[in-house]
Amino acid sequence: MTFSAEQLLAIAPMLVLWAAALAVLLVESFTGASTSRRHLMWMAIGACVIDLWVVALQWSALSGGAATRLAGFSGTVVLDRYALFADGLFLVATVLASMLFADHSSEHERERGDVYVLLLLAASGMMLLTAATDLVTVFLGIELMSLAVYALTGSARRVAPASARSAEAAMKYYLMGAFTTAILLYGIALLYGVSGSTNLAEIGQKIGQAPGGRLVATAGVVLLTVAFAFKVSAAPLHMWAPDAYEGAPTPITGFMATAVKAAAFLGAVRVFSLLTGDAGNTAGAALVGLRSVAGWKAGLGLLAAVTMLWGNLAALRQENLKRLLAYSSIGHAGYLLVGLLAVVQGQGELRAQAQAAVQFYLMSYTITSLGAFGVVAWLGRRGDERLHLDDWAGLAGRHPGMAFAMLLCLLSLGGVPPLAGFFGKFYLFRAAMEQPELLWLVILGVLMSVVSACYYLRVVMAMYFREPGRAIGPLPGSLVPAVAVVAAVTILVLGLAPSTLLELAAAAKAR
Amino acid sequence: MDALLPVVVLLPLLGAGCVLLVPNQEGVVVRGVGLAAALLTFLVSLGLLGVFDPAAAGFQAEFNRPWVESLGIRFHLGIDGLTLWLVLLTTFLTPVALLAATRAITKKPKEFVASMLILETGMLGAFVALDLFAFYVFWELMLIPMYLIIGIWGGERRVYASIKFVLYTMVGSLLMLVAIFYLYTEHHRLTGSWSFDYTALSTVVLSASAQRWCFAAFALAFAIKVPLWPLHTWLPDAHVEAPTPGSVILAGILLKLGIYGFLRFAFPLFPLATLEMTPWLGLLAVIGIVYGALVAYAQDDAKKLIAYSSVSHLGVAMLGIVAWNARALAGAVFMLVAHGLTTGGLFLGIGALYDRRHTRRIDEFGGLWKAMPVFGALFLIITMGSIGLPGLVGFIGELLVLSGSFGAYELNRATGGALPSLSAHPKVLAAIATTTVVLSAVYMLTLFQRLLFGPNSNPKNQALKDLSPRELVVFAPVIAVILWLGIFPGPVMDRITPTVEHYLTDMQQRIVDLRNVDTESHIRGERSASQGRGPRAALELGGPARALRTGQGRPSAQLVDGSPSRAVVPEAQLVAGVPSARLAVEGVR
Repeated sequence: MTFSAEQLLAIAPMLVLWAAALAVLLVESFTGASTSRRHLMWMAIGACVIDLWVVALQWSALSGGAATRLAGFSGTVVLDRYALFADGLFLVATVLASMLFADHSSEHERERGDVYVLLLLAASGMMLLTAATDLVTVFLGIELMSLAVYALTGSARRVAPASARSAEAAMKYYLMGAFTTAILLYGIALLYGVSGSTNLAEIGQKIGQAPGGRLVATAGVVLLTVAFAFKVSAAPLHMWAPDAYEGAPTPITGFMATAVKAAAFLGAVRVFSLLTGDAGNTAGAALVGLRSVAGWKAGLGLLAAVTMLWGNLAALRQENLKRLLAYSSIGHAGYLLVGLLAVVQGQGELRAQAQAAVQFYLMSYTITSLGAFGVVAWLGRRGDERLHLDDWAGLAGRHPGMAFAMLLCLLSLGGVPPLAGFFGKFYLFRAAMEQPELLWLVILGVLMSVVSACYYLRVVMAMYFREPGRAIGPLPGSLVPAVAVVAAVTILVLGLAPSTLLELAAAAKAR
Repeated sequence: MDALLPVVVLLPLLGAGCVLLVPNQEGVVVRGVGLAAALLTFLVSLGLLGVFDPAAAGFQAEFNRPWVESLGIRFHLGIDGLTLWLVLLTTFLTPVALLAATRAITKKPKEFVASMLILETGMLGAFVALDLFAFYVFWELMLIPMYLIIGIWGGERRVYASIKFVLYTMVGSLLMLVAIFYLYTEHHRLTGSWSFDYTALSTVVLSASAQRWCFAAFALAFAIKVPLWPLHTWLPDAHVEAPTPGSVILAGILLKLGIYGFLRFAFPLFPLATLEMTPWLGLLAVIGIVYGALVAYAQDDAKKLIAYSSVSHLGVAMLGIVAWNARALAGAVFMLVAHGLTTGGLFLGIGALYDRRHTRRIDEFGGLWKAMPVFGALFLIITMGSIGLPGLVGFIGELLVLSGSFGAYELNRATGGALPSLSAHPKVLAAIATTTVVLSAVYMLTLFQRLLFGPNSNPKNQALKDLSPRELVVFAPVIAVILWLGIFPGPVMDRITPTVEHYLTDMQQRIVDLRNVDTESHIRGERSASQGRGPRAALELGGPARALRTGQGRPSAQLVDGSPSRAVVPEAQLVAGVPSARLAVEGVR
């Protein structure tokens, strides 16, 4: 393997983040203990903005002629528009989460720089995961992302009740994550054993030819699926999620529920697209090597159905806002699994459509959900997070602006037109309906949207229909309201004029 | 002038934006801006009368621009004789309701006015959208403002009523969304192009079973909205708890969208399922007529009484649209307008009493005429209009529907048996439906008597003030239109009739085309007659065929009023060519 500048170009978006993470770490160690940490946040955000610019440059560079992808490091990492679209998503999420965290931490503890470092590292792990075309890089990406997020989950350390819950959440998340890692490694080992390669496209070609290896190959793919199901918190492998989400500091919860989930989905789309091969690809019949392709697909369908049902029905009973949003994010994972299934099943144009739909959905979901978590974080005070639904009574009377932003976020999550979430669902379900076998999942998804409206509207009812309870004092910081405004505007823009993002998503095909 | 419709639809939304930008909760400013926006919308919408060609039957004042090009979503708006008057009714009632809100709504006037205006955009858009995606967006846009109006400014049980309203509506509308998607993907599969356009999608002829499912999904959404018995239970709760302006809009306009949806979407898009299902819809409508009237009679709560009377009246309108003749259909469309005016007026009246006494219980009142003679006289006119007294707006629509539904059987025979009649015994259903004339008089006159006649014994009522000038301004336009349309319904009917006739010939053509339906979906007209004429398939649609009646296939080429119908089936084809198709049509009788 020769080392060349071109290879570095393929990981340029990650390089920027790594450099920025080191810089933030360094600057913090020279910052006095009592000095404000705000400049570290601006450093992290600045790095993300620069990185967004890099991503945009590479996006337009990749459009020209034959160069639609940039492979590096012996084909283990690939930079194409699919990866760049994902990078953009992670960067936006990181910026918003950093802003939320700055306000949140100055209220609850004191501001800390290490959190921004971890956020940047987690984002770079996500980038690696979605750029990976080799199982080893997939593993590296997942681990880099997860280790940073474990630490983030446990980052509330100072104020009594929150810190205990945060530590508990980090422990649970870590243990379940370690378990997942083992499963993932086992799957990788089996696939390597049967095909003699860790390159996904090669595995796709070879598992069909390996004599006697069909059972092993099947087991490998199933283990891989289970690992991803853990990461996206698909039911019944979601048990860690509500606890981890509840315990983590709210901005981090938002980051976990959006960026981490998006990374796992976008990684899964890439991995399973490569494994199943596309029409016209030499690996067209790739998964024929599995013992039961139909069974695997049926399993994915069942996973999607159970996730939609479990997430949405469990959310109905939650009184705690963070748990409610956690279960709702499980429900959204269910819808996205329908999209993943449409990607896996589809060929050619259908696959491209499903993929674009998943990307669009993740983008709108990420911004909407971060907006909602932002309002949740904004309401919390030191030692009193105000997470109970009763704490939200009459918010519209006291703070009409924030309540309206929350209303838009919740309605968009529930899929009410003409907001972004509705368009995302429409696009996703359209892709699924192109394949008649998935019709039942679409109908189930639509019914679950009604269920989801019930619990989203419970929050709306508390905010708008009930008389104000305890007074909420003046609010520190203006970054959280800024995030709420960004989310609200994005929700409206994506709902009324989704064309631009749709075209971007459609242009970002995984190959 | 093709930008007239989008201006009418979006003006209220713009107004809502202006209202929200008013920096304080100053009631006068907020209400003034809101009322100005609503009045301006009304004035602009009157321009539609100018551009509307009464003789033309197709869509007019069309506006068609791409919205999301890659998905085939267009911002396509248009009106015809069905919707012209519904649009005007909407723009007319909204300022009236806003004016009525001055006293009924005291908390958060800014949010209230904005909700009402957003609601108006939703209603107008749903009436005029000719793109199914845009229609769905507007349809759902109505949901949230109405939810907030009931939930924030409603009565004691407002939270329960609002969530019930939302859930009922959402279950129906989301299943309709799946059906829209199905139609959309089938259209793409058959033609290779993405489109949500009404005219494009209505060329898709789905397979028999797909039609049944899709029709069921659409019908559920619209039947909940109408509301058709037994899906009406959300309505009394929503009405009772909603504030007066909300009730006016809900009963006056929102319910009309159900009937409109059946006419515009459910029937033409799925003709075969329509053929099979309309007799049942007719049966439900008749049950609703009688049930609504009887339950209304038993109410102690004035608003609940009027809510149930809506169930009964809209049953009549529903009967009119499934009777399948021009008279009943035109009557039903007229009735929608009439019911909007009279029920809106009734709710305004009850609202005026509620503002004074803060109770809706009928027992609390009595003998009010002595204290409030002006109110009594105006309320009497509205009550009589609701009952359908000749010379008032309610009469002509009801008369046309009821006489039309009696005639359904003969007219259907005259059209070659292509349209379904009400059921095996249409006259029985029509006869039962006619009891509405008596029943509505029974419950409405009882209400009037209990409120206004007798001794004014309740001491709280003796000092009640008569209508204030503001309230007179609210009532006057409603009363004026009730009288005017009762005496001169001609201009309205003239603009409804061509569309209705065109609608029926078009429906008939669609149903005749069903001889081409087999188990495969296809695009209308693309399949030659020889292709899809399998006797097996056609028999399958028909269900158990009854005995052929003689004279069914006569090419008596007249639909109504002597206008020759281009859709009538030539006799030879019916008798010799496709006996099975006739069996199919006959079988559902």
